[in-house]
Amino acid sequence: MLSVKGLRANVGEKEILKGLDLEVGRGEIHAIMGPNGSGKSTFAHVLSGRDGYQVTGGSVDFEGRDLLAMAPEERAHAGIFLAFQYPVELPGVNNTYFLKAALNAIRKARGEPELDAVSFLRLMKERLKVLHLDDSLLKRPVNFGFSGGEKKRNEIFQMALLEPRLSILDETDSGLDIDALRIVADGVNTLRSPERSMIVVTHYQRLLDYIEPDFVHVLAMGRIVRSGGKELALELEEKGYGWIAGEEAA
Amino acid sequence: MSAELGNGFDRWLAGAEGSSRPRLDWLETQRAQARERVRDQGIPSNKQEAWRYTSLTRLLEQEFVPAAARVPEVGPEVIQRLSIPGLDANRVVLVNGRFAADLSDLRDLPAGVRIGGLRQILESDPDALRERLNGVAGDAQPLFTALNTAGVDDGLVLLLPRGVHLPRPIEVVHLAVATDSPRVAQPRHVVALEEGAQATLIERYLSAGDSLYCTNSVLELSLGRDSVLKHQRIQTESPSAFHIAGVFLSQGSGSRYEGINLGLGGSWARTELRVLFAGEQAECDLKGLYLAGDRQLMDFHLDVEHRVPRCTSRENFKGILYGKGRAIFDGRVLVSRDAQKTDAAMSNKNLILSEGAEVDTKPQLEINADDVKCSHGTTVGQIEPEMLFYLRSRGISAPLARRMLCLGFAGEILDALTPETLREQVAEQVGRRLEQSPLT
Repeated sequence: MLSVKGLRANVGEKEILKGLDLEVGRGEIHAIMGPNGSGKSTFAHVLSGRDGYQVTGGSVDFEGRDLLAMAPEERAHAGIFLAFQYPVELPGVNNTYFLKAALNAIRKARGEPELDAVSFLRLMKERLKVLHLDDSLLKRPVNFGFSGGEKKRNEIFQMALLEPRLSILDETDSGLDIDALRIVADGVNTLRSPERSMIVVTHYQRLLDYIEPDFVHVLAMGRIVRSGGKELALELEEKGYGWIAGEEAA
Repeated sequence: MSAELGNGFDRWLAGAEGSSRPRLDWLETQRAQARERVRDQGIPSNKQEAWRYTSLTRLLEQEFVPAAARVPEVGPEVIQRLSIPGLDANRVVLVNGRFAADLSDLRDLPAGVRIGGLRQILESDPDALRERLNGVAGDAQPLFTALNTAGVDDGLVLLLPRGVHLPRPIEVVHLAVATDSPRVAQPRHVVALEEGAQATLIERYLSAGDSLYCTNSVLELSLGRDSVLKHQRIQTESPSAFHIAGVFLSQGSGSRYEGINLGLGGSWARTELRVLFAGEQAECDLKGLYLAGDRQLMDFHLDVEHRVPRCTSRENFKGILYGKGRAIFDGRVLVSRDAQKTDAAMSNKNLILSEGAEVDTKPQLEINADDVKCSHGTTVGQIEPEMLFYLRSRGISAPLARRMLCLGFAGEILDALTPETLREQVAEQVGRRLEQSPLT
């Protein structure tokens, strides 16, 4: 589904990704762990097409298409979804209006008819329930004045609504207390299917207690330095990232 | 024949001389004084503070003649086509500045309400207007207000007696229709609410088709003690039009005024708003939104005078500029020495979408009292790249995303419009304007 080969990317003059390789198959959940500054968020942003990163080498193939050549909205149409580490507040932009515009844009790109108001509302209410979010959230401006937990849940709610083929969760656990974390994880888990893949970017192993990955990768110094099963996360938790960094240096 | 004005505006007043307007001594005196004032002011130059950023060149290049005294014929279907769906309102129609009784709808108004054309009321009951006309605008009128006074002839009159609450909004449709030669209409409106009266006024400036003309309107608003007025001014003149408006407001004690000013149309538009607090504990809330697109000028001047204690004023104006659009926001709040416990806040925020667009914003506070709460703020910014990316990452195209963010920016002002059908209609209009514009 996703094939990343030798990906290199800069922020300004600084090289952050230094030849990253990753293969994600259909229905798989990959966790990417790593210390601060290892390039985790840069990787998530480059996949979603955010400005401010220069890709200097390598390739990203998504279901046979050159992902790096696509505009952010085209990537969304193709089924890529980024759950932001810091969801952006959009004052004055009504959440319902936003969700409807997003869903219809994606449905249109998939060749599906736009949803009428009634079906749309029904779908939203159904998905809200899964994330334990209140209806009143729909009337508010997008993320505006939301608590940290509400923002993160709103991201997963959007994900549930847009039904992406590949979701990238960028430190979705950061700033969440244990209850909010459980709700977010439940939301993510209900979306698991043989058709959908996920890349879960996280600093801590904690999230992986709730979202069980098929593969765990350690990102350090802009490259995947180690890959394994979910037991690798536990090992990291026990030994810390210093262990990997030390091995690298050796 | 009076002496030449010497500033190119003689033509504006030419037709008014021989027309069949009512002859009233006091009115003739007012006209003559205003004419003097026009002559004394000459042509404003950019050395004058009020004209520092606004050039009159484009206006002076035009050769406008006064609108004809008779009401141009307009079929009811034209009004129907321009109406707001589902708006339950009493309607006053003015065509090229002339009150059109047969297009207006003044049914079921409470007893004692005076409403109609200025000329009509000057003929039938001039005493009702004697103290009102120029009562709020005063003597020291700025150029275009003086021009309007010198040519005063027709307009809207709305007088609400004590305690009357209007059941429906009054919608005033200022319709411009094309004529053989470009003309100037100078409607003069007088609105007065006596003690405890309440009303909603919706003023719409619009045209049937794109044509070149000029509107120079003046509105005098007098709010008696504890009266409440919601006033929504929606300027959507034709893309070639010139629009000049003077709004003069006097607020009695405990009165509340909520004004929403939308500058959407026209090629060159200037609005001067003057607020005078005449009694204590009055509240004035002025909101505004302007869209200045390519080759469009939107010019707003606010002058709020706190002369008595314990009044509150809020000014919140927002602008969206694109293409080679140009806007000016010149807001002044004056707090006199005696106006203790004044609470005033002024804000002007601008969103610039292109390199060619330009805004001059100048909020000023002049505070001469020591126990007051006053603030002002201004911003000029662009669409935040993170916001744009967030929307695009959800599959929304870049043009739609920009439009959504612009509407979000404007939302605070648009959301204040009532009733809902008006808000929807105007929001749609703003959305359409943004859609037709290259937002880059």
